[in-house]
Amino acid sequence: MKLKSCCAAALAVFATAAHAQSSVTLYGVIDTGMLYQSTSAATFQPHAPNLGHVYQLKDGGIYASFWGLKGSEDLGGGYKINFKLQGVFNSTNGKFGLADTPGTTAIFNQFATVGVAGPFGTFDAGRQIIPMIYAMAETDVRGAQYFGSILTAWLGMNQAAGWPGTSTNAPIGALYDSNALVYNSPKFYGASVALEYAPGGVGGQFQGGTRESAVLKYSNYGLNLSAVYYNGHDTNPFPLTYPAAPAVPATGLANNRFYYFGAMYTISGFSLSASYGVGKNPAKSNTADFEMISGGLGYQFNPRFKVTSGYYYLKDRNHSANHSSEFAVGAEYSLSQRTRAYAQVGYVDNKGTMNQTIIYGAPVAPGESTTAAMIGIRHTF
Amino acid sequence: MKSNYVVQLAVVAWLVAASTSAWCQSGQPAKAPASVPGASATTASGAAAPATGRKADRALRRKVYAAIGKQKEISAGDISVTAKDGAITLNGSVADASQIDKVVEIAKGVPGVTSVTNKLAVKKPFGGM
Repeated sequence: MKLKSCCAAALAVFATAAHAQSSVTLYGVIDTGMLYQSTSAATFQPHAPNLGHVYQLKDGGIYASFWGLKGSEDLGGGYKINFKLQGVFNSTNGKFGLADTPGTTAIFNQFATVGVAGPFGTFDAGRQIIPMIYAMAETDVRGAQYFGSILTAWLGMNQAAGWPGTSTNAPIGALYDSNALVYNSPKFYGASVALEYAPGGVGGQFQGGTRESAVLKYSNYGLNLSAVYYNGHDTNPFPLTYPAAPAVPATGLANNRFYYFGAMYTISGFSLSASYGVGKNPAKSNTADFEMISGGLGYQFNPRFKVTSGYYYLKDRNHSANHSSEFAVGAEYSLSQRTRAYAQVGYVDNKGTMNQTIIYGAPVAPGESTTAAMIGIRHTF
Repeated sequence: MKSNYVVQLAVVAWLVAASTSAWCQSGQPAKAPASVPGASATTASGAAAPATGRKADRALRRKVYAAIGKQKEISAGDISVTAKDGAITLNGSVADASQIDKVVEIAKGVPGVTSVTNKLAVKKPFGGM
């Protein structure tokens, strides 16, 4: 259920030339729950101590709370101009979410795009959630949710590669990219392709700060297949100790590469998924070279109630002592079309320097095994 | 038997999930991944229709998928279609509530379909509801 904002109506009245049909929608979600976690840490620093168990009000049990504005203008002939402004906020304290620079937040950290849609597909320019993470979500029974999913596993890989969790610039792959140009093709017998290119905007350089990714997907006959290739240059210029240590100047060196293959099959209420991914720093593979393996199983009891579970394994290919296994199970019940209640538990067995979290935003100390449980509610407006 | 085991496991998991206190340290997670291979066996046997009219059922299932797949905005990979003697059961999920009626309409419009049982749920794409 989305509310057309009254501002849209007001704007439409004041607009002098409003012959084409257009609309603005204000929308969002609030997701809040109670989280218990048997261990905790303040940061993702390599020697962060275990601060003990924690019991807290937590934002984002399924996905982050967010709000946004979106609209489109029909140009005729099957063409449309679309815009989207969307950002996360923390429902427990009202703060905005992470930006691409440590120590700052952004109002619209998920989407700030304008684009065109037509018979050729869609093309959007600006900061956005990039095709890679959708491809992973569609081949994970847990749907890349914030609690125990392919998302926390992929983030675990990034933490192991030195992501301090203070900006959206990840060393392996990306969830959000700034300056991105994204093309999504229409479906052709269930197959589609998505391409991304983000120019770096670094003075005097062509490759500095650029990212490029390609996603190939198939979705039909109950089967989702995804293949992902992501390559970034200078994608994590901020050291762990930033701002005490300055950002690394752009060099144009490719230092962020990620491959992923995933499949999910849905039959008679059951969903089954599996995936394999490799993330590394191709310029210095002795510093970051990780493997990610997942398996998932879910059952939809009826249109309102489902249970999903997933198993996620991370391995450091440079140091076999560093590995991590996570298991999560969650139940979701739709109270209405707009409100969903959920309960979930997870367990992670971290070894060596691994600090894979159970839920996004609640760090654990390296090498600490942890259990977490959460109940909450997700309400759409 | 196997499906009973899976349902039991799911119920146990739900009960554990429902209780906020989580002192069950390693026992639960250690044994639960074992459910994955068991369930894959279940889905495999569940997919097989009875021998009578099995070929026809499979052909009808394919036709329904082909019809849904023509809709560019609907992901037929998230939808389960099963057929038995002209009766279609839809399971799985779509990205928006408005797509449920659309998929049901498409299935009803496929020649040879006598009835449609709809169990579709709504699952928003990554980041959504």
